[in-house]
Amino acid sequence: MSFASHIPGIVGVVNAMLRVATPILLAGLGALLSERAGVINLGLEGMMLSSALAGVVVSAYTGSALLGLLGAMTVGALLGAVLHGAVHILNTDLILSGVALNLAASAGTVMCLYWLTGEKGISSSLSSKVLPTIAIPLVRDIPLIGPVLSGRNVMTYVAFFAVPAVSMMMANTTFGLRLRAAGQDPASTAIAGVRVARIRLAALVLSGMFAGMAGAYLSMGYVSWFGANMSGGRGFIAIAAEVMGGGTAYGTGVAALVLGGAEALAVTVQSYGAPSELIQAVPYIVPVVALALYARQRQRRTAAQ
Amino acid sequence: MRKALYKRGARLCLILLVIAVVLWPVVASLDDPRGAFFTFVLGPFNDMRHFGNVLEATTPLLFTGLAVVIMFKAGAFNLGAEGAFFLGGVVATAVLLKLPLAGPLLPVVAIVAGGVIGASVCVVPAWLKASVGASELVCSLMLNYAALFIGLYIVNYHLRDPNAGAMLSYRIPLDGKLPRILAGTRVHLGLVIGLLGCALGAVYLYKTRWGYESRLVGSNPLFARHVGVRTVLVGLIAPCVGGFIAAAGGAVEIEGMYSRFSWTDLPGLGWNGLVVAILANNNPAFVPVAAVFLAYLEVGGDLLAQNFAVPAEVVGVIKALIILFSTMSIAVGNPRIKQLLVRVMPGARKLNTEVEP
Amino acid sequence: MSTEALVQFLDVQKIYPNGTAALAGVSFSIRAGEIHAICGENGAGKSTLMKILFGLEQPSAGVLRIGGKEASLRSTRDAAMAGIGMVHQHFSLVPSLTVAENISLGFEPTVGGVFFNRRAAHAFAEDLSVRYRLQIDPRATAASLSIAMKQKAEILKALARNVRLLILDEPTAVLTPAEAGELFDHLRQLKAAGVTILFISHKLKEVRAIADHITVLRAGKVSGSAPLCSLADAEVTRLAMGKLVPSVSRHADRAIGAAALQVEAVSRAARRSASRITDITLAVAQGEIVGVAGVDGAGQEGLVEVLTGDAVPDKGRVLLGGEQIGGLPKARLRALGVSHLPADRYKTGGASALSLTENAMALARRSPRLSIGQYLKSKACEVLAREMIEAYDVRCTSPRQPLGSLSGGNAQKLIAAREFSVKPRLLIAEEPTRGIDVLAASTIHGRMVDLARSGTAVLLFTSDLDELLTLSDRIVVMHDGRIVAQFISSPDLTTEEIGRAMLGLETSHA
Repeated sequence: MSFASHIPGIVGVVNAMLRVATPILLAGLGALLSERAGVINLGLEGMMLSSALAGVVVSAYTGSALLGLLGAMTVGALLGAVLHGAVHILNTDLILSGVALNLAASAGTVMCLYWLTGEKGISSSLSSKVLPTIAIPLVRDIPLIGPVLSGRNVMTYVAFFAVPAVSMMMANTTFGLRLRAAGQDPASTAIAGVRVARIRLAALVLSGMFAGMAGAYLSMGYVSWFGANMSGGRGFIAIAAEVMGGGTAYGTGVAALVLGGAEALAVTVQSYGAPSELIQAVPYIVPVVALALYARQRQRRTAAQ
Repeated sequence: MRKALYKRGARLCLILLVIAVVLWPVVASLDDPRGAFFTFVLGPFNDMRHFGNVLEATTPLLFTGLAVVIMFKAGAFNLGAEGAFFLGGVVATAVLLKLPLAGPLLPVVAIVAGGVIGASVCVVPAWLKASVGASELVCSLMLNYAALFIGLYIVNYHLRDPNAGAMLSYRIPLDGKLPRILAGTRVHLGLVIGLLGCALGAVYLYKTRWGYESRLVGSNPLFARHVGVRTVLVGLIAPCVGGFIAAAGGAVEIEGMYSRFSWTDLPGLGWNGLVVAILANNNPAFVPVAAVFLAYLEVGGDLLAQNFAVPAEVVGVIKALIILFSTMSIAVGNPRIKQLLVRVMPGARKLNTEVEP
Repeated sequence: MSTEALVQFLDVQKIYPNGTAALAGVSFSIRAGEIHAICGENGAGKSTLMKILFGLEQPSAGVLRIGGKEASLRSTRDAAMAGIGMVHQHFSLVPSLTVAENISLGFEPTVGGVFFNRRAAHAFAEDLSVRYRLQIDPRATAASLSIAMKQKAEILKALARNVRLLILDEPTAVLTPAEAGELFDHLRQLKAAGVTILFISHKLKEVRAIADHITVLRAGKVSGSAPLCSLADAEVTRLAMGKLVPSVSRHADRAIGAAALQVEAVSRAARRSASRITDITLAVAQGEIVGVAGVDGAGQEGLVEVLTGDAVPDKGRVLLGGEQIGGLPKARLRALGVSHLPADRYKTGGASALSLTENAMALARRSPRLSIGQYLKSKACEVLAREMIEAYDVRCTSPRQPLGSLSGGNAQKLIAAREFSVKPRLLIAEEPTRGIDVLAASTIHGRMVDLARSGTAVLLFTSDLDELLTLSDRIVVMHDGRIVAQFISSPDLTTEEIGRAMLGLETSHA
């Protein structure tokens, strides 16, 4: 058995890793933006779910996948604004408001689905569109990595370029500077004349937009339908990825890849006969282990100094 | 004191308003809006069976609500009650099916076993926080899902009845079931156990030294340390106790209401427990009232769904809005809102909108 | 210096919704180009006045005029537009940002309107630094600066926005006497450059050294406003205090007993420089009050951490009554009779959301009076709280109200009542009267002396040198983690001598 015969298998695993990592990375960037601004966005899960439905519905009624994507991002952004409004104007608790948003999204998406299609489980009656995969002409012929770099879903490429974009934005733009300042020391930032509330609104809206991209990918790239509760906790996994990434865009990217890789490997193992339920538990146990290791590492580092 | 009651009353009115606002568009679009509205509001009381449904639905909420209250009051922001409840049910089923024990001891052992093992969903994140400083919140959220799939694995591979068609376990032995206590309904002993638990919870938090120390930690952990409370220990004990209660609640629910284990997804009762805790203002003495209220809403929603073309999920949206409006400060922080309110209700001028100098 | 009024307060009032009248009708003028001091005791309304000028609060009534025109400052942005800048007592620098970034925050130089032009920001900061002769490294992060440097950065930040009026809030609270002198030089330079300065302080000596005009506040009203040269010290004090406040002083008739606390060559290396201590040896006897002086970060925090169970010493021993207590956990120290009045009363000293009773009973919770085993006697707890409230004159409506609803002075009195009433063998008091009104401070001083009289050993950490001189039998000065001087309290001892030791310039052991 030569090494070459294993390559398709390895390529398959790597592609699976990218496929799983994409929504986590996109939502993770959303978690990053809000967290660095000082508002932890626990409603990512609900935003992803709502956006997934929005993508399916808009693309079905307009016949365009692009409009579906934009619809998903808009819904996500709106929910981000709603979350900010609840906390800033009504003075609700930030974390519990995120929880409430998730509950509302879970129930609300089922209700909308029912009204639009008469079904509560799945949107198969809607002919929603699919976000395309992109084959890059010369790249795909490169041996070994060609089949990995080319032929991925468009959102995977978006995620890939979003990481340096977000990183640069945080470090080199005035918005990024103000966002970091507002997150670390809102009192001083306000005294400097920066409107902290507006920064936080912008952060939550952007966070929602990223969640929207992730949600659109779930219902229009990963598969091509919406199912109840299809986000399956990925919003929370994205938050875990952000923490593991140490609050940086590149770190979040690496963490998302690690989590994606773990799940992809687990699925491969499943084909050797492991029980599917235990495999399904892996994507939730790995982040906990990783978070614990990361926390221990950080503890050791601060103790040593 | 009066100010607190005024606040409480105002909040309740707000919640009722919210429910009406959510229901109205849903109900108005139907053919028989009045019928639908009254089905939702009065349906749960119009006969013994429906009233029994309210009490049956109250029982698990007593457990999860109390669990969340105990954890939150100690400052442990642990959301693992959902997974603990599920896992408690799984373990109890396993014990009932596998343990060769007869008589009234069987259900008790199953509840305790379910409680202890199910509590791990809350304890592991708490332990991780205490030992390495990992986020208890995020870890508990993850472990809910892990508990779901591990529990499903146990049920599907070790407890499944091949003759029963869908994903169901073997029948639970009759010895293992909790007795019914109200004729004409399925209300079982679990209700009494839950009420007792809430009473004990109230006594624990407000009348014992441990409960007081727990509240100190929840209110200001640095202060608690300052006066010599072992905060790390409190931070671990509260999720142990809370997790045990939530998991025991799952066990009690299986023993009281089911003949086979049939859950294929997280039943959502942990999140309902969160709503109950918020409604009860984190006070175990008010948990029963809040639990009954939420159960009433759920049953109303079910009746609505059964008799009209409205999905029961409308109650989910109501629950979300309840959380939102319950945590909203009546002390509205935005002076512009206060100005608006003052124009409508001159009495609002007295509302506290600013923090003391 | 013109006589034209830059800022005018016309019957300005500020009444908070809970009824507290912070300002009850304030009227005075600040002339352009002068150094104007606002004096008054804590609680007189100085903070509120300043917050109104800086846009952090709005007046309930009255008119504020700036440059002759009526002004309504609804945010710090408005204040900045009106040419008003402020140097905060606890600084408003974002820790992870550099000095240049902090200075530019809010009106950053950009490339193409979106990207932050770091080079321009650095150049701007350098330019400012040179122009106003305030040496600072624009690339340093705010977190890495010393206190005095942070203040310079604060000043530059305010100056960067083309201020006409610079407000300084208790600027010397965190400086040694020599550093204060340097600050005053800078302020005179600024005055020469045309900046009007508003200097808020309760230290009369400093006000004399720097100000042209003084306005004295008392209980929310202006009790006097005049050029400083026309007022004698006694006059100013009378305007500020109104009635006589009972003075507390240590008396020689206090019996000093056996050694209670013995710290022997204790050292601890720590990441934070404020926690580092080297070779500390000191002793406090029963009934003795030993005061510890030092600039912020000289190691007092480190010593407190070791003495209160927050840290374990690397070397040396700590003994209480002969028993080793170094490294013991807090619970154990409490049981052995160590009380601690922490510097940050709301962060560590109490729980704002809990009731006065729940705060007061915290240390006595195990006593048979309050509990039988696990069972708490609620009635007895409330009775205990009432006793403390009575004995320490805590102004409140009921022991059930939350701690956070009390004023700073009353909250501190309750916390002191809790810590003192367990009759400790050793009391460690940190900044016991910081930021509280004069009457409350006097009550606490009196109770502390009573405690010492009954045999408690007291170790007093404070940055208020007057308080130090008034209460202490002996004074110990820390600098850079070590003890560099000891003084026996006497009427001849001056704050200047202590100040020099605080800077490490003088080491004397009396």
